[in-house]
Amino acid sequence: MDFTLVDLDDEHRALQQEIRTFLASIFTPDVFAEEHETGSGYNKKVYEELGARGWLYPEKPVEEGGAGFDLIAQRIMDLELFRQDARVMMMRGTSSLPLKAMRKYMPAEVADPILKDAVEGRVLVCLGYSEPDGGSDIANAKVRAVQDGDMWTINGSKMWTTGAHVSNYTFLVTRTDPDAPKHKGITMFLVPLDAPGVTIQAIRTFSGERTNIVYYEDVVIHDKYRVGGINDGWNVLHGPLDEEHSIGLDMSGGLTDLSIGAGFCRVLGKAINEVAEWAHKTSAPDGSSLTDDVQVRERLGAAMVEYEAGLCTPGPMGRVKASDALVKQAAALVDLMGPVGLLPLHTEGAFGEADTEYAHRFAQGTATYGGTVEVFRTIIANHVLGLPKPNYPGAKVFLAGKKK
Amino acid sequence: MDLLELRRQDYTLEEDQQLLLTAFGEFFREQCPTSLVRASEPLGFNQDLWNRLVEMGGTSMGLPESAGGDGAGMVELELVAEEFGRSIAPVPYIEHTVTSRALATAGTSSVLEGALDGSHILALASFPVRAGSPQLVPAGAIANSVLALVGDDLVLFTVDNPPAHVVNQGSTPLSWWDFDAITDQVVIASGSQAKAIYARAHDERMVLMAAALVGMTESALAILVEFSKTRETMGVPIATLQGVAFPMTDVAIGIAGARNIARKAAWYLDHAPDERPELAAIAMVYASQTATHGTQVSAHLQGGLGFTIEADASLYFLRSKGWGSLAGDPQAKLLAIGDHVLNTVK
Repeated sequence: MDFTLVDLDDEHRALQQEIRTFLASIFTPDVFAEEHETGSGYNKKVYEELGARGWLYPEKPVEEGGAGFDLIAQRIMDLELFRQDARVMMMRGTSSLPLKAMRKYMPAEVADPILKDAVEGRVLVCLGYSEPDGGSDIANAKVRAVQDGDMWTINGSKMWTTGAHVSNYTFLVTRTDPDAPKHKGITMFLVPLDAPGVTIQAIRTFSGERTNIVYYEDVVIHDKYRVGGINDGWNVLHGPLDEEHSIGLDMSGGLTDLSIGAGFCRVLGKAINEVAEWAHKTSAPDGSSLTDDVQVRERLGAAMVEYEAGLCTPGPMGRVKASDALVKQAAALVDLMGPVGLLPLHTEGAFGEADTEYAHRFAQGTATYGGTVEVFRTIIANHVLGLPKPNYPGAKVFLAGKKK
Repeated sequence: MDLLELRRQDYTLEEDQQLLLTAFGEFFREQCPTSLVRASEPLGFNQDLWNRLVEMGGTSMGLPESAGGDGAGMVELELVAEEFGRSIAPVPYIEHTVTSRALATAGTSSVLEGALDGSHILALASFPVRAGSPQLVPAGAIANSVLALVGDDLVLFTVDNPPAHVVNQGSTPLSWWDFDAITDQVVIASGSQAKAIYARAHDERMVLMAAALVGMTESALAILVEFSKTRETMGVPIATLQGVAFPMTDVAIGIAGARNIARKAAWYLDHAPDERPELAAIAMVYASQTATHGTQVSAHLQGGLGFTIEADASLYFLRSKGWGSLAGDPQAKLLAIGDHVLNTVK
């Protein structure tokens, strides 16, 4: 076990300073203003500036457009990006999944130029997984792709395609054999979003984040955009997903987060810090100090316990714990602040950066991102506890969704 | 708190720590079946098991080599505590360990020889001594000496015969100690040193108790998992119902986090005790919540059967509070944790 502060050598210390200075120069006020306005989780200037230095995906080797960062350097970069604003970097995380599948399953002559552009920050790939009536059950995809010679025609619609409006491609789950068992009739495509027949419609969430519904109406694409074998889409999809749901052992020497929930915990951590600061700077209605108030002390204590629990719980269990902790504690912290806790950033009398107000809105989406907490509880039940799986009619069979 | 600290969070055990965990896991599994736990009720002490634990090095490992011990750290003691709790063993492992370590820190050697070989059992009073106010002492019914804070002094109270056991929900050797009436009192530390040693012992007890509660809850969950796979309703195992499976996953989630926090808190006590002073309390609070919830779920999802004295689920349920509350009210600890948060943003 090791929880020591990392003792940076001269090289890493210099890199940390270089990253900090550089990020401060590109994360200008207009970047935050744009993100606040659009909720896109993306900024063209930031991505291109980072990409030009190999710092958008710095863990990749230099020959793949990265910077060949070791684990310590990667951790430095993650923390420095968090210091600026993690929200703008969301599409980077989204794109990273399909990039891995493209490298593995597409012919190099098709994939390489796209990968190069993606790593350099000029191309984004979004995830075309969920459908309007599908949610987390992505293996039941109904969007149809029909082959005609070298071309495929795609019809249907996808929901929650976050980043579609700023992306160049979508990594699309399609149904290519409706008669096969549901996991064996799926094919993956990289669909150019400027293809005729693609319509993107905005959906706004109350976290401020924008997502989209994307309609595909007789969208014709070349077979070269197929990722992996025909009807082998589940395997293509699974590689990157397994990583997202990983139960794997920590091989990083403790330099990576224990789960994807750590990001949710940071949002809770900011809210806790903000409420503590608020308690120092605010008096109770009777003029007494809030830092002596039993309610304030106890609820900050309770939030801190849940923060630590979210951070320390590993794998899929940490993903669920962190979301639950954020949902419950953000609500409790808003209650503690009272009406001031309801004021968003840039409103009169809002406290600080309004991190608590934001945390309460953001928290709700975390219970859904990347598969709902219920999907993850099912994974934990089957794979951690070894419980038998229930036998649902649509577990193995593709259901077209027609009501009887 | 500093959210940008570049700190490792590596929970990987060293090879010898893994071996220790395995060895004590086997020891408690073999030497302490639930039949022994039941046979040791209501006192909650088994002399024979205690002797065997002494032979295993359970009483000497946590003492420094200068005091004749093996110099193990809190991480190692925490691992043993997980296995101790998993078997809800009727021996005063936690009280004896933290109190003997406190005495060694204070430089007291008079009773340490008996502590090493287990013949002189030690316990820690939960509250400062107040005249005219006897208190319930964990392991007090089998302890030869109790360490307590009296004003600015840390005092070791020794008796020839421990006060009589009082029957309690957790079947632990609780007894009322009337410190005023004890003549054998030795001041072992004073002033700030006394307070520091006592506070450290209290932190160590919280971390080891957190570990024991994690192990206890895992046992409770394990019997529930087996039950749910074999018990059927409407033609399917109840484990396939989400109304049964999801509460079980929530217990597993609690256990995974509580274990990591307890181990992390143990590491900080060993290596950086001043950097996260609130972590021992966090470990205790979260483990207590996890155990209260987990053992209740285990008993409840076994239906009426889980509610009976015959069911092993009852052993764990009754001890989740019966052990957990011995280290102090978790809700009260939230105040200290909150104060720490407030202090870090000043």
